[in-house]
Amino acid sequence: MKKDENKGYVALLGWKLNAIDALESFDRRYIVVAPQWAEDYAKEHNIPFMSWDYERLDERSFEIAHRLQDEGVDVAIPLFEETVEWAGAINAVLLGNPRLMGQSMLFRDKSLMKRRAQLANIRVGIFEEGNDKGDVIHFLKRVNQALLKLDGDPNDPIHLKAFDKSGCCGHRVIRTPDDVNNIPDDEFPVLMESHLDGFEFAVEAFIKDRKIQFLNISEYVTLGYSVFIPATPELEKWRPIVTKEIEKLIEAFDIDFGFIHPEYFVTSDGNMYFGEVAYRPPGFNALELMERAYGFNAYQGIVLMFDPKTTEEEIKKFFPREVVDAKGHAGCFGVYPRRRVVSELRIPEETENDPYFEFHELQAPMENKVTKRSAFGTHWGLIYFFGEDPHRMKDLLKAQEELDFYV
Amino acid sequence: MSDNENLRAPLSSGSGQQAVLEEKLEYACSRLEKAQPFNKVRFQHPVLDLGRRLMNQENGIPVLYAMAPRMDKAGLFTGTDWSNPGTLLPGLVTQTFEHGDRDTVMLECVSELRLLAIAGGVYSSPGISAEHARHFLTQVLALNLEYLFGTRTETVRERLGPLGEKVEELFQFILTHIGFENILENLIEEIWRILAQRPVQVQNVKTMVTRIAVMLSRGDIEIGEYRLGADRLTSALFSPTQGCYNDPGIAAYQDRLDAMDFAALQQEAGGFARSMHDTGLVSDYHAVFLRMLMAREQFQLIPDALGLSSTGLDVLRCYQDLVHALIREAIYPQTAQAVYGLAMLLERGILHIPAIAPALWRQIGLNLSVLTESTLIQIFGEAVSPKIKLLAGVISLLGQPLGIAQGNNPTCQAARALSLWSYNAPDYLLYFIHQVSKYDSLLMHFEGRPILSTDVPAGLLQSAPIDADPVSALLVPHLDRIYNEMSRLCIGRGEDPHRWINPEFHGWWTGRDFVIVVDVATGNLKAADTFITRFYNSYHPFYNGNQPVIHPQPVGVAVTDSNANFVGWHAITLIRVALDQKNVMRVYFYNPNNDSGQNWGNGAVVSTQGHGERFGEASLPFPEFVSRLYIFHDDPLDNSDPAEIPEAEMQRVKEMMQHSWASDRMGDAG
Repeated sequence: MKKDENKGYVALLGWKLNAIDALESFDRRYIVVAPQWAEDYAKEHNIPFMSWDYERLDERSFEIAHRLQDEGVDVAIPLFEETVEWAGAINAVLLGNPRLMGQSMLFRDKSLMKRRAQLANIRVGIFEEGNDKGDVIHFLKRVNQALLKLDGDPNDPIHLKAFDKSGCCGHRVIRTPDDVNNIPDDEFPVLMESHLDGFEFAVEAFIKDRKIQFLNISEYVTLGYSVFIPATPELEKWRPIVTKEIEKLIEAFDIDFGFIHPEYFVTSDGNMYFGEVAYRPPGFNALELMERAYGFNAYQGIVLMFDPKTTEEEIKKFFPREVVDAKGHAGCFGVYPRRRVVSELRIPEETENDPYFEFHELQAPMENKVTKRSAFGTHWGLIYFFGEDPHRMKDLLKAQEELDFYV
Repeated sequence: MSDNENLRAPLSSGSGQQAVLEEKLEYACSRLEKAQPFNKVRFQHPVLDLGRRLMNQENGIPVLYAMAPRMDKAGLFTGTDWSNPGTLLPGLVTQTFEHGDRDTVMLECVSELRLLAIAGGVYSSPGISAEHARHFLTQVLALNLEYLFGTRTETVRERLGPLGEKVEELFQFILTHIGFENILENLIEEIWRILAQRPVQVQNVKTMVTRIAVMLSRGDIEIGEYRLGADRLTSALFSPTQGCYNDPGIAAYQDRLDAMDFAALQQEAGGFARSMHDTGLVSDYHAVFLRMLMAREQFQLIPDALGLSSTGLDVLRCYQDLVHALIREAIYPQTAQAVYGLAMLLERGILHIPAIAPALWRQIGLNLSVLTESTLIQIFGEAVSPKIKLLAGVISLLGQPLGIAQGNNPTCQAARALSLWSYNAPDYLLYFIHQVSKYDSLLMHFEGRPILSTDVPAGLLQSAPIDADPVSALLVPHLDRIYNEMSRLCIGRGEDPHRWINPEFHGWWTGRDFVIVVDVATGNLKAADTFITRFYNSYHPFYNGNQPVIHPQPVGVAVTDSNANFVGWHAITLIRVALDQKNVMRVYFYNPNNDSGQNWGNGAVVSTQGHGERFGEASLPFPEFVSRLYIFHDDPLDNSDPAEIPEAEMQRVKEMMQHSWASDRMGDAG
């Protein structure tokens, strides 16, 4: 697409074909900043490219910031968790705002993030930092003591998360001291959280000028398995409260612009708890679900939020109205093999014949033996659904959990 | 704003489920459309998966047919082996249906539907004409008669499940649209038309003939006068002589031979030769017969069995030991087709070139490199040793220089070079074959700079062609790399690289002057008058002092479809210019495409038989040919007065140019 010189020039931090694809058909100039292994591919396909090694953030971050400044780039956009602090460092230079660097560090450390939220009077669960297995056992014990459990009662579980990994990566549920033994030492330090009964959901918020421009609520059917948007009316009821909570986050984290992806819990007593927030596109292809449901390209939406030259009219024209403008509900389900030994991929007939079923991105199995799942977030591929009834969607996604896709 | 209404109310075109699938496919297509070329691959699978489910619906195929052109344009075939429809091979389709996974089978189905749209003129795609698409589909139908007649084998049914039934339905759909009154008749005509070009590779034809034979043997199909044509084809393969009446099998045939007296054997020899020269097909029994003659040392029957003329006979007598060695080492039932190559090799008289006989002795004694052996085994299997396969391939190529084809590969340059060398410099070709099959590399020079094929990156071809003859399988990857490197070295010269590449790549006999009618920078027509005059003065016997073409010349044509729309640039060989039996001056040329019979529109119908063509040649009347020509080589002009070209003829050629490939390339050149 023809580029408009009067609009911003953005740098994409990280290599993501869908994002590049979206920028190719958008009026903003762009450059991809990614590791050298992508360079040949970029050259072959005429993708504007700058090679950069993200391994260590140090004084060299100034080098990339200045290279991008010389190139005329206005702003950098992180595509992966690992490039969030790079974006902070670079944008601090490009936009002349040193505060952005510190802000990005908050997003990269789940423990700091929670403390910051707590300081801003946002409700969070009980959490502590754990440095070794002893800390974990201690936390598990103290939480269950506080719940007045007796010896022999089943424990309430606790959750362990790596400080700086995205989404479900490194997320473990611990119920007994035995579970603790299975944690490899290199996963420490970790954030330890009490378990909250209730349901979890995620929000995708497009922010410009400290205002929410578009807010999507992603309903999780089962954490780590399935998500769909827009959410059921029951969850959408929470939208005014959610909006207030996001506004609190904007203040707490001093967010002028960008895209955030926080997760929340609603407990059975009707309280909303902040889980965590990421300053980058979510995993689980929520952006694609948004495109399916609303018809706009969410990557382009993110670029609009970051670009300092975006106008208000542009934003107004770009985003549809939340919920009412959705053409239907789009959902996806992450498939895990349920058997220990599998030989082929077979889409169950009831899935294949379901009118909501769109297509799958599953591959035939490479190995017959299925490795045991140790943590969340290692599904074998996604299957997509689209249809008009959110409740049917929810039941359908739930039903997939009982089906074998690998036999 | 909301499209919910559409979702609730099923479209009128089908059931509720079908309407839902159509909507989903629509979305999947639009995503594929929007994707950049590098990202197409991600969105292809959803289209194929939804397409397959739609096809399973009662009324799915017509909807897919209507959408096929859109899917093609959206990039469904980008990055796949199907991306260039002009080079698809009908022979590979069966393979895909029998062994492909569901996505691949579906891709093949959509490809067939898009070709059907092209054949019907409702869609056009660069690189393939309506006629070509129709020929392709006819052959696909012929090769897959079992789908049409519902005699598909159980294994296919088992493997593809419901999709298998739908493939059957798809073939029926194609059949109704192609509109054959009687498909078998057309198929038989089609096979004769292909055979008239005497291809080296006849596996496809053999399979088609076999399928037709099986159909006809059921006895309930009436094809009237075409029966004779079908019978001649069938008997050429399965019972060309008295001795192999009823297709007895090789062991039984050997027993019958043992019981024959000399007169009977002579009759056998004549029968084989007649059938072979009549059809261009060689029966396996023919090879058995020749091996028997060698074993019993009844050499006097070999000329009869090969059907030699006095020329061939003379060559055979001069080089008896060599020919016997070639039969012994290369002619087996599995390589029977090389018998025709051998006969033609003798008839060409090239054994009288001093280097050929010793070079063939070298070929016979050659030990193949490990890589050569494994490549040949990978492609041709182990029914005969790779050495035998290669030697048979060499014989065929030397005997039928115009019978070689590029297969499903974008390598017309390399195929043309092989043909040219076989035609014009067979010893040079044998040298190359020796280099590659022994040392796995090829050295050529470009403007004094050596280019070793193993030192330069792959060109258009990513791996050895699996659908070509043995010599191509070995040489084409090397030639393609070298050609590609030569092109690379010409980058930035601002002119068509063939100016420099052709003389260096093909041989010294390529004319030193280079004439082009296209301005490389703009793609517009330039100096058409000069171009046409020059070509007439150089190649038309009436305007060049009656000088026949001496060496075949590499030239470039702008191929057009039957509506005279530009299809693509293509490399061919100009072989000779002569009057046909109706006193029309024609250009005879070699086209490395698998099938030269093409309609280029505006009356330019390329003929392959019946207008003075020798086997493998294609031809056009001189003016029609010039109107599609865009580059040729020539010797530097002499200063004598060139003959004047009649104004009317000039105008006609120019008009044919302007109304075909050059229609949107007029610029201000006029």
